Amino acid sequence: MRGVGHAKWAACAAAAVLAATACGGGGGGGDAGAVLSSSWGDPQNPLEPANTNEVQGGKVLDMIFRGLKKYDPKTGEAKDMLAEKIETSDSQNFTVTVKDGWTFSNGEKVTAQSFVDAWNYGAGLKNNQRNAYFFAYIDGYDKVHPESGEQSADTLSGLKVTGPLTFTVKLSQKFSTFPDTLGYPAFAPLPRAFFDDHDAWLKKPIGNGPYMVDNYTRGSRMSLRKWEQYPGPDKAQNGGVDLKVYTDNNTAYTDLMAGNLDLVDDVPAAQLKNVKSDLGDRYINTPAGIIQTLAFPFYDNDWSKPGSEKVRKGLSMAIDRKQITDTIFQQTRTPATDWTSPVLGEDGGYKAGLCGEACEYKPDEAKQLIKDGGGLPGGQVKITYNADTGSHKQWVDAVCNSINNALDNDRACVGNPVGTFADFRNQITDRKMSGPFRAGWQMDYPLIQNFLQPLYYTNASSNDGKWSNEKFDDLVDRANAETDTAKAIGLFQQAEEVLRDEMGAIPLWYQNGSAGYSDRLSNVELNPFSVPVYNEIKVG
Amino acid sequence: MPDQQQPYEPERAVAGTGMGGQMDLGASEAITLEKAPESPDGTGPQDRPRSLWSDAWHDLRRNPVFIISALVILFLIVISVWPSLIASGSPLKCDLAKAQEGSQAGHPFGFNGQGCDVYTRTVHGARTSVAVGVLATLGVAVLGSVLGGLAGFFGGTGDAILSRITDVFFAIPVVLGGLVLLSVITSNTVWPVIGFIVLLGWPQISRIARGSVITAKQNDYVQAARALGASNSRLLLRHIAPNAVAPVIVVATIALGTYISLEATLSFLGVGLKPPSVSWGIDISAAAPYVRNAPHALLWPSGALAVTVLAFIMLGDAVRDALDPKLR
Repeated sequence: MRGVGHAKWAACAAAAVLAATACGGGGGGGDAGAVLSSSWGDPQNPLEPANTNEVQGGKVLDMIFRGLKKYDPKTGEAKDMLAEKIETSDSQNFTVTVKDGWTFSNGEKVTAQSFVDAWNYGAGLKNNQRNAYFFAYIDGYDKVHPESGEQSADTLSGLKVTGPLTFTVKLSQKFSTFPDTLGYPAFAPLPRAFFDDHDAWLKKPIGNGPYMVDNYTRGSRMSLRKWEQYPGPDKAQNGGVDLKVYTDNNTAYTDLMAGNLDLVDDVPAAQLKNVKSDLGDRYINTPAGIIQTLAFPFYDNDWSKPGSEKVRKGLSMAIDRKQITDTIFQQTRTPATDWTSPVLGEDGGYKAGLCGEACEYKPDEAKQLIKDGGGLPGGQVKITYNADTGSHKQWVDAVCNSINNALDNDRACVGNPVGTFADFRNQITDRKMSGPFRAGWQMDYPLIQNFLQPLYYTNASSNDGKWSNEKFDDLVDRANAETDTAKAIGLFQQAEEVLRDEMGAIPLWYQNGSAGYSDRLSNVELNPFSVPVYNEIKVG
Repeated sequence: MPDQQQPYEPERAVAGTGMGGQMDLGASEAITLEKAPESPDGTGPQDRPRSLWSDAWHDLRRNPVFIISALVILFLIVISVWPSLIASGSPLKCDLAKAQEGSQAGHPFGFNGQGCDVYTRTVHGARTSVAVGVLATLGVAVLGSVLGGLAGFFGGTGDAILSRITDVFFAIPVVLGGLVLLSVITSNTVWPVIGFIVLLGWPQISRIARGSVITAKQNDYVQAARALGASNSRLLLRHIAPNAVAPVIVVATIALGTYISLEATLSFLGVGLKPPSVSWGIDISAAAPYVRNAPHALLWPSGALAVTVLAFIMLGDAVRDALDPKLR
């Protein structure tokens, strides 16, 4: 790239005449006031912490909120953030002490009450929050969020403010890893402004994180700016972030190459072959707690009737995962052999090969299984996916071709794209799916519980397919109550085996986080959730 | 020179206006029909005056542009009816192991990003394009000329209303209209696309038909027939239609090419045909992200689309030249 090098040298020479600026790439402290731009997609819901269970909204919550715990950007370990200490003697009653000196960006102090109010709001049935389920283990949840009928209490009886900065949590059963879940945004504190003028808050959310929302135009961009008075240790190293909405990650990548965008956290599959030559060491590819699966609409009789588990297992065995991850994803994905993620580690509950032959490519057996199970409902499966992120079109087409080849039927499987992620999520929550659909899961916290319970427990928050199995639920309950971590993990894995036998969802592959960035940026990293650690990025 | 009176020259760029473009009313009315008084190429004496149609055919046979485009179109029609004549495989048979590979024995065009044979898909894609082009043009021509012809013949309030309706349709941007209307349709056949093109395409033909009927009905022989007591239907069918239909044919033939490219555009944008249907627009859209590594997967369907559209537009040009010698 002779020409490019020469041009850069010339630009540096010109700059040197004007001012003695740093020229020579990288290094340096960067300009703390400079703003970077990053690719993004519209969130499905307004940014209420307890109502955001998808990645794009979560990205923003991560920037504007800090909870009791924060997951270490490198290891994923839950570390105290606003929590001074969380004490328990029996894994059921917890005493939380909040650190002094934290405020919201409007100046209001963060107190124990800020947490308790937020959690009561999140749990309340009338507030219709998608993550209400996260509060289900707190005593009194059945009154605040009954299975049917109106709520008979506004506050969780298990939450008691005992001082300006202390509160107690009483759970309805033992839940040994409860403190580790508290880094999830659903548990973020909320200021009075959230309750006093809710509409204004939704327009411009106020939080306690290193960034503040400056403005948001749906379908276009959200501007976040550094909160100068942020009291926490992880201050933003840049002046702010402009999240730009893209409906096609290829466009975002082209914009990055053209210098119109600084950071792409979703490198399109079609460019993976070129990304190293395009970006060199400005491309990062790190393991992340993400698994892609195909979920099924169990509210549809076609997929819940007896025998349909054979069809699902057959479909799973008709997918040549290795070929797809090698060719389409250039090995930035790894074929999945269980329902968790390798980032958990063996000790954390990841168990390679748990899925067994049900996740291996065996076209002949696949064909037989589907036949035994009564064939594909309607003779054809449609895999629904969103077309705007993650290069889903490429892999859905490849999965369909793989199924078609295995079944020797050109039209056994077709992709069914939905334009945007938000639309796609809406169709799922409205139960409009009629066949398998894409269900990626980015972990909320690095525990095996998070890969199973929110996704497959009866009526759990992200149980999109509404799969329900008593045995599974029972094993999960027992695992949560278990105070011995190793035993708890064993129970979770037993639950996973139930999931496997029923093929409640087809595991596809474990996803790496991949990102590319412009030469303006340095110190760019992805956390184990594959979200860029925005506050650490240096510009210039 | 701006102040100089320019002799009116009907634009030759009618082909480029497409459906969305404003068809200049003047241009359509300028395509009047007059029998060429003598053989245009002056070859030999004529025993009896040839009709417009035989005269046009006489011209066309000698026009290399017509011959080439007609051969291309004939070939396209044949392969869209029997694609297996030259491509025996299934366009939906894909082997990911061969993704993005180039040309090789038995697979002259190579493979696309999903490992499907580009040659087979390109051949099978012709059917969609030809079907959409021909059927949409037929629909547009029939609907447009009937409505426009009646409006032009009877005039009055109906004519005024129709003219305003065509104005309204001209104001609808084609691609935007397609995105809005077709995105709500889930059917995966060519019919919604054809229906959409007819819906937005008829006003253009309607204006031309109206203009040429108005011109034709003022001719002496029409007045004479009317004086002799001919009914309206006889006037229209026997005297006016045969003499007013030529401009409709010219514009419709040229528009056919633009309809094919419109189908590809809509399929490219994901609102026309959807996989597993095979269409050049779908293939172009799917190949676009891979253009750096597998340009052949983009170029072959694009080339096929370009040649097809060009062939129909050239045919339309040749037909216009033959039917309207004044333009030469």
